[in-house]
Amino acid sequence: MDRLTEFLSALAGFATLAALFHVSWATLLGIFVGSLPGLTATMGVALLTTLTYTLDRDTAILVLICMYVGAIYGGSRTAILLNIPGTPASAATALDGYPLAQRGEAAYAMALATAGSALGTIVGIVLLVLLAPPLGEAALKFGSFEFFWLAVFGIVISGQLTGGAAPIKGYIAGILGLMVAMVGSDGIHAHVRFNFGLSELNGGIGLIPAMVGAFGFAEVLTVMWRRRPDVADLRRGADRVLPRLADLWRYRWTIGRSGVIGTMVGIIPGVGEDIGAWASYAAARRLSPERAEFGNGSKEGLTAAETGNSAVVPGALIPALTLAVPGSAPAAVLIAALFIHGVRPGPMIMLEQPDFIYSVAAMLFLATIAIAVFGLALARIFVQVLKVPREYLMPVVFALCVIGPFALTQRLFDVWVMVGFGVAGFVLRQMNFPMPPLVLGIILGDLLDKNLRRGLTLSDGDLTPFFTRPISAVFVALILLTILASLPAVRRALGRLLPAARGADR
Amino acid sequence: MQLDSARADRVAAMVLFAIGMASLYGGWTMDRLEVRRIHPASIPGLVPMILGLLLAVCAGLLWLSARRERPAAEGGAGMESWRDAGVALGLCLVYALVLVGNLTFFWATAIFVASFVAVFGGAGGQGGRALFLRLAAAAGFGLASSGLIAVLFRYAFLVRLP
Repeated sequence: MDRLTEFLSALAGFATLAALFHVSWATLLGIFVGSLPGLTATMGVALLTTLTYTLDRDTAILVLICMYVGAIYGGSRTAILLNIPGTPASAATALDGYPLAQRGEAAYAMALATAGSALGTIVGIVLLVLLAPPLGEAALKFGSFEFFWLAVFGIVISGQLTGGAAPIKGYIAGILGLMVAMVGSDGIHAHVRFNFGLSELNGGIGLIPAMVGAFGFAEVLTVMWRRRPDVADLRRGADRVLPRLADLWRYRWTIGRSGVIGTMVGIIPGVGEDIGAWASYAAARRLSPERAEFGNGSKEGLTAAETGNSAVVPGALIPALTLAVPGSAPAAVLIAALFIHGVRPGPMIMLEQPDFIYSVAAMLFLATIAIAVFGLALARIFVQVLKVPREYLMPVVFALCVIGPFALTQRLFDVWVMVGFGVAGFVLRQMNFPMPPLVLGIILGDLLDKNLRRGLTLSDGDLTPFFTRPISAVFVALILLTILASLPAVRRALGRLLPAARGADR
Repeated sequence: MQLDSARADRVAAMVLFAIGMASLYGGWTMDRLEVRRIHPASIPGLVPMILGLLLAVCAGLLWLSARRERPAAEGGAGMESWRDAGVALGLCLVYALVLVGNLTFFWATAIFVASFVAVFGGAGGQGGRALFLRLAAAAGFGLASSGLIAVLFRYAFLVRLP
């Protein structure tokens, strides 16, 4: 009850015209960003972060969260209408959304996606309010040993789950991210490492320029590399633009289950919305009496995918706020934005700013209402957005990629960092190296480095406490299990045991 | 060109192995700060050494997994895609590394956006008039979008432009 009161109190704090104005434009912008193939939620949040320096703390975080929620939802538009996921999170949506659109039910599919996204986010918000405070308090018991293993676990699980058929590439991406974090002053003795004689590198590589490069510039190059999409058959039939309550009631268990799965996937470090959508979709298909319809325009499949990916958003913020470990790539940018605006995420947040978690829940709730209103009211207008030619959009996006990082530090060096990460990100993506572990590595590098060395200093060089303390032992077991599960022989055995899961493998 | 191939993976494995070894060497030779009497287990080069070793091991595993040649992915991008990406990369590099900082932000951005639109917006008709119209539209869009971005950052977000 206390938590509900705290949440309502935080919500009341945003009941101003100015806050509602910010919710409206930021969510709308997020939906547009998500709708456009080539503009991802991470890119949107990273670019918008560079525009929030002059805003106060709550307004800045509010617009970034609205952008995040809006962009994840907006990706469903292109998935349904063009069979091209606007963001990777909407890949599962396209499986059933596009066949529905081909049957002339595009508007209804978008309505179902809207309802699924809104309900999924609400399930995630409930779990955020319920789980974040106890997790934050539990994190207070973490010492250097536990934080070291938490960082290792994040990299391993993220590499494993995003590496697809080749987890080794996920692990490599994570290690590369950790290596990037080794550049600059170390966190214990302030000794400058790997600056290659450049004084600009003494402070390390900025997360925002790196993220804008890896997700912005790399995306611009990827869009120009792809063949032009055929934006031909945009069916604009006279089907419903509001979801039927009967349909939502029929899929209530699917919505609830997908919401919980999405949130739990969100809590796993560095995994993200696309895995949340696929996991929810696979579970719905396994349990549905209409499983033959899946892939051929199943409304239940579409609802499950959209509920799952949207529920990841609040889920990803749970570890981001309480452990400073992002659950997804956009959440990683949000962590950087929190630091910029004077919020220190991590275990101390429950002591220093205990009401902040409820403020974030209220922000997510407002963004959810906004996507429901805009998604249902402007369904047909969003279709027009898809017609923006890439040759007009991409140079403007790149110009923003250049000026955004510059705005933070007023250094051209950060523009060069952005360019370097953009080119490297493009090449790595073409080679099927996943980006989330790389980003997570950059975020967790400092945590891993400091806590390993601090732990060794505390134990006088003895490794035993890293394995014998209870929470550390649990992390070690989880890490070993995760690595074991990535071995080809174990994967084949699991595939034989769980034949239903294989179909959902990307 | 196929970057999603076993051959590309083998090349990547060699590059990654070299990076891993370089990190291991860099960590090993890094100042151990004995003069500051720090605990030997907290030397700054410890984690870079571990990461270098891990990367070298993972690169070896990647090499081994790439030994079996995979068939090329269906529907891979053709030369046209690589040409487009290459031209886009060239334009972006000239803008970010050469124009920005040497010209005012407004003119640098206007030239970049106009060039990008002119190069890739080639779906119009043939002939001198069509070409002129296309270039005029590109220049107009470049000036308008550059002006908008410059004004937005300069006056709304109070950023000193490069």
